Amino acid sequence: MAMRDLVTGGAACAVPGTAASSSNPFGALANAILGSSSKTQELKGLPGSAVNVPGPSSDFRTGAPLTTIPGLETEGQQHHQPVGQNYEFLAGFRTADHGVLADAWNEIHQPPALQTQGGKIEAQFQEFEQIYNRGANSMLPPAWDGPPQGVLSRFLHSFVDSGRAGVPFRPAALPVLGLSEGDKQCIRDRSFIMAHHIFADKSEEYINAQVNALLHSLDIDGNERLRGPIRGSYPELEEYWTESQGALRSGMPNPADKWVSEFARQRENGDPEAWAHSFEQLHGTNGWASEFEHEQSQLASVGQVRGANMSHIAAMEQSRMLAHTLAQNTDPKFQNSKFLQFVSKMSRGELIVDENQIKPATGSLTDNWADEYQAQYNAGSSTWADQFVHQDLPQGTDKWVNEFVKENQQQGVDDQWVNEFSKLHVQDWAEEFGQQVAEGALGDSTADDWANTYENFLDEQLLASKQHSGASRGVYVFSDMNPYVGHPNPLREGQELFRKGLLSEAVLALEAEVLKNPDNAEGWRLLGITHAENDDDQQAIAAMMRAQEVDPTNLEVLLALGVSHTNELEQPEALRYLYKWLQNHPKYGVLATPELADSPYYGDVARLFNEAAQMSPEDADVHIVLGVLYNLSRDYDKAIESFQTALNLKPRDYSLWNKLGATRANSIQSADAILAYQQALDLKPNYVRAWANMGISYANQGLYEESIRYYVRALAMNPKADNAWQYLRISLSCASRNDMFEACDSRNLDILQKEFPL
Amino acid sequence: MESSLQSAGLLEQMKIHLSTDAGKEVTNKIGLVYQLNIAPKKIGVDEEIFVVDLKQGKVTKGPYDGKPDATFSFTDKDFLSIATGKMNPQIAFIRGAMKIKGSISAAQKFTPDIFPKPSKL
Repeated sequence: MAMRDLVTGGAACAVPGTAASSSNPFGALANAILGSSSKTQELKGLPGSAVNVPGPSSDFRTGAPLTTIPGLETEGQQHHQPVGQNYEFLAGFRTADHGVLADAWNEIHQPPALQTQGGKIEAQFQEFEQIYNRGANSMLPPAWDGPPQGVLSRFLHSFVDSGRAGVPFRPAALPVLGLSEGDKQCIRDRSFIMAHHIFADKSEEYINAQVNALLHSLDIDGNERLRGPIRGSYPELEEYWTESQGALRSGMPNPADKWVSEFARQRENGDPEAWAHSFEQLHGTNGWASEFEHEQSQLASVGQVRGANMSHIAAMEQSRMLAHTLAQNTDPKFQNSKFLQFVSKMSRGELIVDENQIKPATGSLTDNWADEYQAQYNAGSSTWADQFVHQDLPQGTDKWVNEFVKENQQQGVDDQWVNEFSKLHVQDWAEEFGQQVAEGALGDSTADDWANTYENFLDEQLLASKQHSGASRGVYVFSDMNPYVGHPNPLREGQELFRKGLLSEAVLALEAEVLKNPDNAEGWRLLGITHAENDDDQQAIAAMMRAQEVDPTNLEVLLALGVSHTNELEQPEALRYLYKWLQNHPKYGVLATPELADSPYYGDVARLFNEAAQMSPEDADVHIVLGVLYNLSRDYDKAIESFQTALNLKPRDYSLWNKLGATRANSIQSADAILAYQQALDLKPNYVRAWANMGISYANQGLYEESIRYYVRALAMNPKADNAWQYLRISLSCASRNDMFEACDSRNLDILQKEFPL
Repeated sequence: MESSLQSAGLLEQMKIHLSTDAGKEVTNKIGLVYQLNIAPKKIGVDEEIFVVDLKQGKVTKGPYDGKPDATFSFTDKDFLSIATGKMNPQIAFIRGAMKIKGSISAAQKFTPDIFPKPSKL
């Protein structure tokens, strides 16, 4: 019953309550859960617990609360055998194996161990009582022995009994029980809720009358908290919800707080290191509490479900409240406790209390789903998850495939493929694969590779899901932790850094500038150019598009956009921007006919540009654009020609040398390309793009060891160049340097630079 | 090759790459014929078919005359991801981003390193 205490009230309400108080979210949670279930099946355990319910059960199908009381365990067992689903559920909370909270308690005071029902319970709960009392000193009279407790419990029993019997409850005169204000409030709340349970079929007035009678006997002023039921299909649940909302809004009510802080205090005394650490290993120390902020949106979407799921939602809401309560304690160990994890899952809808069992909801978003999977279920039922956690994949493909398909619904994966996969591919592919393995056609190494790959798969998924926020085209992704924010003149700073060749630093300074002045076209433009030189076309495009919004006629921006799109092999877009360049050019604008602007056809555009070139052959820019245009159409010879013309006019333009080199490389004149790149690098030593291009040229020629060096050099200057990382990996594998894979995957530049110096 | 796919660009580059020494290396090493069914948005819809013939060292558009060793189906973007090493082919397969028909062992040899990388202007 002690756990019920915990459920129903904080330290101040150590009085054994028989109803859950909505002011205590935990209690409300319990009731929301219980209120929604109507079967009498035995509950499966909560995480980490095995439920052993003692004795026979008689059927109480109403939402009857617990009727046993702590400390009076024996007495309770004589009077009321553990009954019904509710007791079992709560017994689950507090059985010897102990629901999550009891776990924590136990761990504090002794090493966790699996125990069976029996005398142990009492011992532990007496311990529990002591602790409870110790912590609750200030609120309770020091001498707190049996009698007042017994009296109250019997009194509350009779209230419940009266409910069952349908007999109106009569106020009784009770001896002074020494209830404090907080106690009274608890009892008041709980009674009200409980009354709703018991008298669910009675009228509202009746309920109020009963509760008032009860409270009056206890000398509690119940008026404040009485409220009419809220209209709705689930009045009880909605009421819990609003009450708990009210409670929360008015600041943490004492009881819950007290309990929470007491719990934390108690836990510091103990030695929860082991489990806390193991938990951290499994789940990471990241504050899940912060995830609660996102619950709202998730719940909102879940809220679309039909009424049948209302109970789940209510449960989720309650647990969210509870979690919020608990989250206010910032002790990291506390936050990491399994219990909180459990509650957090409940609130996220990942676990549903369905038919008195805790089940993981399908479609839940679970990164560490394998870990959670293991945590939720008894070990025996999921050997594969066990194995997975221990990095030991089975070679049998069917089993994991089936389980994988069943259990894992990961975000971003098209549902359809799962269905397909489970129906069709499993057999085909798995069979063939199995055959192949059997025939030895693949050889051992490939089978192992596959297993390893799968292990990496989830890591990748983790990484990918984190990295790909905002990675869609055109959305600029700002860096966090920008030291230049707040700088008085970040634009000038950025320009300085750019000139010096410190490209990554320049990026940060320029970001600070555009954060300050989002309409600064020059800031965006320079940012875009810097990204391009840093070999990040995605960000370059995003920045340039912002620049274009601010200043649609800026020629450099348009050219840069054309170049970046060309690099990304997006021909139509590139054409469009290059055409716009022509349109907006003061001299050649006349050549551009408006109808071409929407869907420029390559041939026309090229012709126009040639006309422009003839108009003014001394204009290097026209030739540059022409060069890019020819690259688009893979007219490499003409492109080279154009670039060379431009270079004659502008020999110190490093980006022009790079363009020439890239054109050469793409037309497989890789050796010549390298010469051009060298020129560019002579002019600008920190030109990341040129370094990366060098690497590509070597790789395309099959000179993988060399290419590795250049990639590493490029990455040393810009560790964010994702392309280069991928290319590096390919080169490593081609050069059979698999030993360096790990360094590459973990982006460990130190090792790589030491191993592959230039 | 006339095409609106981004992949076409890469395959064009592959075509000329195969005539280089490095390209000939690839042909010697692999010696298989792959057919690529590349769709702009969704697998199977509006596909363009290319054949990467690593026996003879050429890239052509249109279905293969004969039986390719392995046939792949993916979207434009996914093919590019695989060819540039952003996405591991096995992972692509598991995720359903790539469909394979034909010999699995041939499919296993379809890795990013057979493709040349585009240089950036």
